[in-house]
Amino acid sequence: MNESSSFFQKRIRKRTIILSFFFFLWFSALTLRLVELQVIEHGRLRAAAFRQNQLKSKIIPERGTIYDRRGIILARSFPAPSVSYIPSEEEPLPQKLAKIEELSRVLELSNADLTRIKARIEKGETFVWIKRKISPEKAEQVKRLGMSEITIQEENKRYYPLGRLAAHVLGGVNIDDEGAGGVELECDVRLKGVAGEGLFLRDAKKRHYHREVLKPPTPGEDLILTVDETIQYIAQRELERAVESHQANWGTVIISHPPSGEILAMASSPGYDPNDFSRAHPEERRNRAIQYNFEPGSTFKIVTAAAAREFGLVDFMDTFDCSNGSIRVAGWTISDHKKMGVLSLSEVLIHSSNVGTAMVGQRIGPEILYRTIKAFRFGEKTGVELPGEEAGIFHPLPKWSGSSLASQSIGYGISVTAIQVLQAMNVFANNGLLIPLRVTRETFDFSPSLQAARPAGERIISEKTASDLVEKVFEKVVLDGTGQAARLKGFTVAGKTGTAQKIDPVTGAYSARKHLASFVGFAPARKPFLSMIVVIDEPKAGLHYGGQVAAPVFQEIARRVLLYLGQTPQFDPAKKVITAQLREASYR
Amino acid sequence: MVRRRYEKKEIALAAACILLAVAFLTFYIWHQAALISLGYQTSRLEEKIGQLEEEIKGLEIRKTSLLSLEKVERVAREKLGLVEPRPEQIIYEDFRLTNEDE
Repeated sequence: MNESSSFFQKRIRKRTIILSFFFFLWFSALTLRLVELQVIEHGRLRAAAFRQNQLKSKIIPERGTIYDRRGIILARSFPAPSVSYIPSEEEPLPQKLAKIEELSRVLELSNADLTRIKARIEKGETFVWIKRKISPEKAEQVKRLGMSEITIQEENKRYYPLGRLAAHVLGGVNIDDEGAGGVELECDVRLKGVAGEGLFLRDAKKRHYHREVLKPPTPGEDLILTVDETIQYIAQRELERAVESHQANWGTVIISHPPSGEILAMASSPGYDPNDFSRAHPEERRNRAIQYNFEPGSTFKIVTAAAAREFGLVDFMDTFDCSNGSIRVAGWTISDHKKMGVLSLSEVLIHSSNVGTAMVGQRIGPEILYRTIKAFRFGEKTGVELPGEEAGIFHPLPKWSGSSLASQSIGYGISVTAIQVLQAMNVFANNGLLIPLRVTRETFDFSPSLQAARPAGERIISEKTASDLVEKVFEKVVLDGTGQAARLKGFTVAGKTGTAQKIDPVTGAYSARKHLASFVGFAPARKPFLSMIVVIDEPKAGLHYGGQVAAPVFQEIARRVLLYLGQTPQFDPAKKVITAQLREASYR
Repeated sequence: MVRRRYEKKEIALAAACILLAVAFLTFYIWHQAALISLGYQTSRLEEKIGQLEEEIKGLEIRKTSLLSLEKVERVAREKLGLVEPRPEQIIYEDFRLTNEDE
């Protein structure tokens, strides 16, 4: 029994030793492996684990929304998935191209895009955009393909729900959602915000189970425009109709609220859809209201008139002999469209006599005219919050030639923008104060009429000069003169027409067939609620005078806008306006 | 070799300790699993909230687009046969009252 017991004990001890040895080996191997994983490979494995388990990603801030003054959305950003391809180095080229073909079917890529993408992959590029800003449904279809080389990332896409409306004010964004024109560009820093950073924890199947915001994104600020959707729509529609019916090259309209300087509408034709900003032709994207210099012609006579009256150099009843129908100044012939006889200062302007205005200019002298033009801010940008504004061309006094005084008196030899002319006309509407024009405001305006802060203006001419000119000249331009087509039933209108001959690029001389028709004015004349400029370039359908082409556009837009704003007429709209024709009696 | 006999009390204590440890571990694992499960749920819900917020924004854009004056005018003219009032058909209430007052 003892022998047997001793044998078993030896056997057990032997087995125990063997087993212990195996355990020792096993634990040694485990320890070595642990040392390898935890110490030697620590850095690489830690990084790999983070890559698998954690995902740091940029949180794209939402671009600010742009509203009109009534709170209607004009532009808003919306997340949109984009598909990119990161080719694997091991995969042979034919397989890569086959995958792109498969993707192409799902994403409905055009042949041109497909060729471009294939060429980039063949060139060995390590990152290729397949299609950016697709619909969520398409993104789901792409995910279902299960291609590991495909990445879907969230970007923002800009939507302009009203399409072409106010396109030139809004501008547009590029594919990276950066402002590329209009207020989108001018206010890009405010609108775009600052990107944040997020950390996602995910499992082996790459499902997110925890999200942590490391740095919160700062969303872009919203922007409120002074533009009113309805007024913009009216202006844009009437402008497009006019450009089409007169077979003109282009046209532009700006409507403002003179007391506040707020721009209620700004339209240019031809226009474009900001949803397709990059595809629009540069000429369509050009905001003619601020980015086009032109010789204004007779609308500029408002400045000559202001100079004449402000310095007391010409009285309203002073007369000018325009019976020749033309006058020669420094080798330059200035003529009227017809012989007008002897005219008073008021009549010179009411009937827009070039000969009479040139004579007025000579009475004023170059220094006074130059000072007045400068005071009205011609030759400098108005500072409206839109990019690419032109300053116009206004030569300094020492560079004036012998004919400059006469030519500038009638709006030639100087280039201006439509917004500069409107700003100048607003000086008369505001009793001699210059109030800068603007397209953004701080708060919404839900009043049935218009509610806007009235900034302090800068005095350019005296209140008396302004009100005298409105009463004795600009109102009568519309009642008796060249701007009769701008008359409104129930409201008084003050305005000035302009018909400028354009220089023919072939001959280098003023063309008898190429004109720029314009009308600038405001209503009601004594307590202006809106001011407007209409410019139509090269009307070819027969009519070409500002009073025939631009004034009717002013009349139709102003009628509708005043109705929309609930403005009560000043007098019975059915009552016919009686005008006195004093000129015939006085001077014949 | 004489094996020591454990008393019932000692065995019970050891068993209780083991049970407590197992219970604690079980609770810890359950707690962790529950946390992760809640994490998944939160993540899904956050995603859904985000989607719904985007949907609201999308609907607002769609509403603005459908109410664009161009569309409203087209429907008014073409579908409903409406026309613009002639100037003489427009009655200004305030204006008439002012005249009566005078």
